[in-house]
Amino acid sequence: MKGLFKSKPRTPADLIRQTRDLLLYADRSNSLPDLRESKREEKMAELSRNIRDMKSILYGNSEAEPVAEACAQLTQEFFKDDTLRLLITCLPKLNLETRKDATQVVANLQRQQVNSRLIASDYLEANIDLMDVLIEGFENTDMALHYGAMFRECIRHQIVAKYVLESEHVKKFFNYIQLPNFDIAADAAATFKELLTRHKSTVAEFLTKNEDWFFADYNSKLLESKNYITRRQAIKLLGDILLDRSNSAVMTKYVSSMDNLRIMMNLLRENSKSIQIEAFHVFKLFAANQNKPADIINILVANRSKLLRLLADLKPDKEDERFEADKSQVLREIAALEPRDLA
Amino acid sequence: MARNKLEFPLDSEAYEIICKIGVGVSASVYKAICIPMNSTVVAIKAIDLDQSRADFDSLRRESKTMSLLSHPNILNAYCSFTVDRCLWVVMPFMSCGSLHSIVSTSFPDGLPENCISVFLKETLNAISYLHDQGHLHRDIKAGNILVDSDGSVKLADFGVSASIYEPVTSSSGTTSSSLRLTDIAGTPYWMAPEVVHSHTGYGFKADIWSFGITALELAHGRPPLSHLPPLKSLLMKITKRFHFSDYEISTSGCGKKGNKKFSKAFREMVGLCLEQDPAKRPSAEKLLKHPFFKNCKGVDFVVKNVLQGLSNTEQMFIETQILMKRDDDEDEEEEEEIVKNRRISGWNFREEDLQLSPVFPTESETSGSSPREEASQDKPDGNSVVLTGSELGLGLSTRNEEAKEQEDEVVGFDRNLMLEKLKLLKKSLEHQRARVSVIIEALSGEKEEKSREEELLEIVEKLKIELEAEKMKTLSAEKESVLG
Repeated sequence: MKGLFKSKPRTPADLIRQTRDLLLYADRSNSLPDLRESKREEKMAELSRNIRDMKSILYGNSEAEPVAEACAQLTQEFFKDDTLRLLITCLPKLNLETRKDATQVVANLQRQQVNSRLIASDYLEANIDLMDVLIEGFENTDMALHYGAMFRECIRHQIVAKYVLESEHVKKFFNYIQLPNFDIAADAAATFKELLTRHKSTVAEFLTKNEDWFFADYNSKLLESKNYITRRQAIKLLGDILLDRSNSAVMTKYVSSMDNLRIMMNLLRENSKSIQIEAFHVFKLFAANQNKPADIINILVANRSKLLRLLADLKPDKEDERFEADKSQVLREIAALEPRDLA
Repeated sequence: MARNKLEFPLDSEAYEIICKIGVGVSASVYKAICIPMNSTVVAIKAIDLDQSRADFDSLRRESKTMSLLSHPNILNAYCSFTVDRCLWVVMPFMSCGSLHSIVSTSFPDGLPENCISVFLKETLNAISYLHDQGHLHRDIKAGNILVDSDGSVKLADFGVSASIYEPVTSSSGTTSSSLRLTDIAGTPYWMAPEVVHSHTGYGFKADIWSFGITALELAHGRPPLSHLPPLKSLLMKITKRFHFSDYEISTSGCGKKGNKKFSKAFREMVGLCLEQDPAKRPSAEKLLKHPFFKNCKGVDFVVKNVLQGLSNTEQMFIETQILMKRDDDEDEEEEEEIVKNRRISGWNFREEDLQLSPVFPTESETSGSSPREEASQDKPDGNSVVLTGSELGLGLSTRNEEAKEQEDEVVGFDRNLMLEKLKLLKKSLEHQRARVSVIIEALSGEKEEKSREEELLEIVEKLKIELEAEKMKTLSAEKESVLG
């Protein structure tokens, strides 16, 4: 039957227009209780097919590769109106398969260029409140993975990442990455990492402005978390952040704090090798700092023999020359330290 | 439509472990009950996160893939959460275990064809769904097909599955929307030729190949290439788990072993899956319409004929444990890892007797030979070289129609294409060479010459260290200049 009505292929513009109409319908349908159920189902099925068609255009299918021109047209039409907002708000009403399709469509659209411009970025700049909707998704088990994936795609745009970093949202991640549901927590952790590593200048600016509360929270909530996986991911991410050249100012300050050193030394003593190794990569910065404050020096001197023993035993599973080189440098630094009078 | 999934508790206190039913490299599987859910029996896969080398991202992706799939023939997780250093993945308990364990404990010569069709059809439903979702499973084999006592069949283990919709962001930064993947994953004996050595990447059809191999596995009781006589050297043990069977070794198909009769439909179906050219293999959807699956019996049939009277999963696990102990106590893990890196360039499927023989790469380099030997083999003297097999001392057929065809192609073929292929092949050979060297070294204490690649890698490593040291210096110099 369906084949009979298969007329000429729809243009991307037609497809978007029809999808919009159906989304508007889906949005209202709950408030129209007298509507026939069969009719509703029919419309929702049509909506699912449309979203699937959009996906085929953007990703291609088993028969054809995607066509750049069609992708550009679809992107343009999609962002011309408020389709993204509509799709995001209607997402909970769609079935699982359609939610996944929609997520993939949204993800792909973030990367599509029209006349060498990422128009998704322009759209989001004007509709930045959508990020507030998406982040709420982390608190809804059913929607978290879909909204979470969309959220992560959106922060590919620097302007969006900047908005999130400057908002209160960034604080929520300290809790989201410790949610008991592993899938959601891991997804949040991936997003948090992306947020703090992707756009170097934005991250550096954020850290410089917010280092006091940020690192205090980072230490107490993440590095000293009871949750093994939280500590492990947090120490790895901290290393990535501090070892990035663009964050050198923040790093210099970080390694001058006695509190930070104390936490690092505790992590070095953990009985998880993965954590120890990652902690070493941060600890080495304290030791390599050529302008160590006196209190840092004194702690290192007071714990010298313990540290030297611990570090000497620390070895990655795989041979790692770079690690060994770093280690011997750190060992030399610590061995050569002289106690200082506190000023 | 909200998923009406039962909400399993995200807390280890709610589960009571009954016994261990499986062990892997860094994970164990337990049978357990979920107390607050009417003591439902579940399987819990506990993955040691501190031990598992797999980077966290791949674990996250596997877990996410699993929880977003919804199909009766796919093993979903009820939930997953961390318990200290372990990730607990709570799943339905499949009391009959995997088809691999069923076959190896109760049907060593293979299952009857009318049962095979039932299992394969259920599996194919899962593959069709996965492909429709844009996922490749990449590790289809009997060991990953689980069966419950009610006859339900579920495809499991998405450890290496890949999604074509999720661009790999780490590499090169280009976002590929193309329906092809290029990294190598899977278990070699089930791996399609294009997965092993293709520069164009591979698509869904690689799963179809593995599906075909799985069909052979169920029919003969083991995958092709898997019947090795007991061997003495460690090198020979490498392939121990995949015994070469005598029928596959014989060059001239002396078909005495073929006492088992298979229907034409079955042979043809497998033949389609094992087409060398991926484009010629049918899609999962199309394969479901093949006559072989037409008069397929229902799952009740296998419940009566296969599943009843099976020892249960716990029992089978204990049995295999004992079996494994009887084998030498050498390092299983390492062995498996090595096995995973063997390469075979092609296969020759003989439809008449439903058998597949390997075609080894026609390459001018053996993995363990000295450079001089290599040079002498550079001449196109037409001798195809048995990859690692030569060291194994296996009198494998080194030359057959397939190899001939390949050589012929070199002459009148797209040079660049061939060159690319050969380069890839070379890379894989070098990889193996390194592996073999390790073993030789371990056995004899002799140090093998390092390959060029290894040397370069070392140099790169050294340079990296220097660079890092230089960076540290600059950094501290900068700090000094800033601070005084």
